[in-house]
Amino acid sequence: MASVTASSVSFAFLSAPTKQSQGLARGLVSLPVKAKSFGPLKLRNAPLRFRVSCAAKPETVEKVCEIVKKQLALPPTTEVSGESKFAALGADSLDTVEIVMGLEEEFGISVEEESAQTIATVQDAADLIEKLCEKKE
Amino acid sequence: MRMQCLDTKFFTSTSLVPMQLPSRMETHLWYVKPNEVKSEQLLNKYLEFLPKSEKEHVFSMRGDELRKGALLARALVRTTIARYQINQVSPRSLKFRKNIHGKPEVDWQQIEDWHPQQLHFNISHTESLVACGVTTHNPIGIDIEEKERKIKHSISSFAKRYFSQQEVQLLSSISDPEIQRQEFIKLWTLKEAYVKALGRGFSGSPFKTFTIRSAAASKESIHLSESSSFENSDIVVESLEDSTNHTGDWQFALLELAGSHYAAICSRKDCANIGSHPMKIGVWRTIPLVEDEYVSGTNSVIAVGGLM
Repeated sequence: MASVTASSVSFAFLSAPTKQSQGLARGLVSLPVKAKSFGPLKLRNAPLRFRVSCAAKPETVEKVCEIVKKQLALPPTTEVSGESKFAALGADSLDTVEIVMGLEEEFGISVEEESAQTIATVQDAADLIEKLCEKKE
Repeated sequence: MRMQCLDTKFFTSTSLVPMQLPSRMETHLWYVKPNEVKSEQLLNKYLEFLPKSEKEHVFSMRGDELRKGALLARALVRTTIARYQINQVSPRSLKFRKNIHGKPEVDWQQIEDWHPQQLHFNISHTESLVACGVTTHNPIGIDIEEKERKIKHSISSFAKRYFSQQEVQLLSSISDPEIQRQEFIKLWTLKEAYVKALGRGFSGSPFKTFTIRSAAASKESIHLSESSSFENSDIVVESLEDSTNHTGDWQFALLELAGSHYAAICSRKDCANIGSHPMKIGVWRTIPLVEDEYVSGTNSVIAVGGLM
């Protein structure tokens, strides 16, 4: 009963990771997990986003990825991108506030608690940073 | 009391030992250590308890250890609550929802003809320990942290950014860096537990707007006695905003759990608790469906503060 398929509920890949299962896991990460698992909470807190016109610059996203990797002590091979969720990378609440602090230091901004609470992904953080940087100017 | 399933090959939800709900003045705390759960069969059994959305969440975690931790957190909360309602619900049938601020709670409406006592719960997890606190009638918040947890920033800069002025002063008055770090972690868990008990979210109760301290320490005194600031004394919270926050309604306990973690518990004082008695806590180490061990009174549970 150790099949590893998209619909399987087996945990076989827990103990015997294969290329296929890693691909499976990664595929699941970038899937509409975002839409499914956030539901009302995200809708309530985050403004609707039109990603095409307001997405942060790639350099900002890259910088956020660096800060997150450093805070969570992730191995350098870990794939972290705009879609990566902090919680999925293993960030707990203490990590998250440290990440916010790191972003404030790096970008010279100040993040309100309300905004901090809405940050779930690297992209969220990058978008917020650019919004706050624009306000500064 | 130690319960062990004789044939661990067959895990069914009926191997959950039924429990009596805690009384209004009691708190129950259940914890599981991921490194004690090794059987893949058991993990698959836990997975069967989860609805599709929770399974997806588990699989969205990056890496085996994080997936296991996420699975154990859901298995722990489902099996724990099911123990108290053993004839009415199974771990699989429980439904959850979030309150308007995002705090998870049980959705009892999904179960017909069932009007349970007001059961409140809260979970917290670290890589090496997952815990679930349960109360009746009164909201609860818990936070667990590894005793050895180190933060990336200096304690002083972190505290200045997030903690209240009084708390910053207290921490900066500690000269030994290791003791300072420990006190910082204890304070963090207490503040987290309070915010989670309030259930208004991180922004609903910003950390800077309240101070948690030992009842023994006065507002003016910022010097620590030789021992921990919370040891052997009541723990209180003060609001730095207006006085409508009813901070006197909340009680705290701080424990050392399993020799490896600090556990902070915050719950609303029951209205029947006129004498302001300290929290009564029962603690169980568990491997759901396999083993339960009552560990209060053993070395696994050491009271630090709030339990006088």
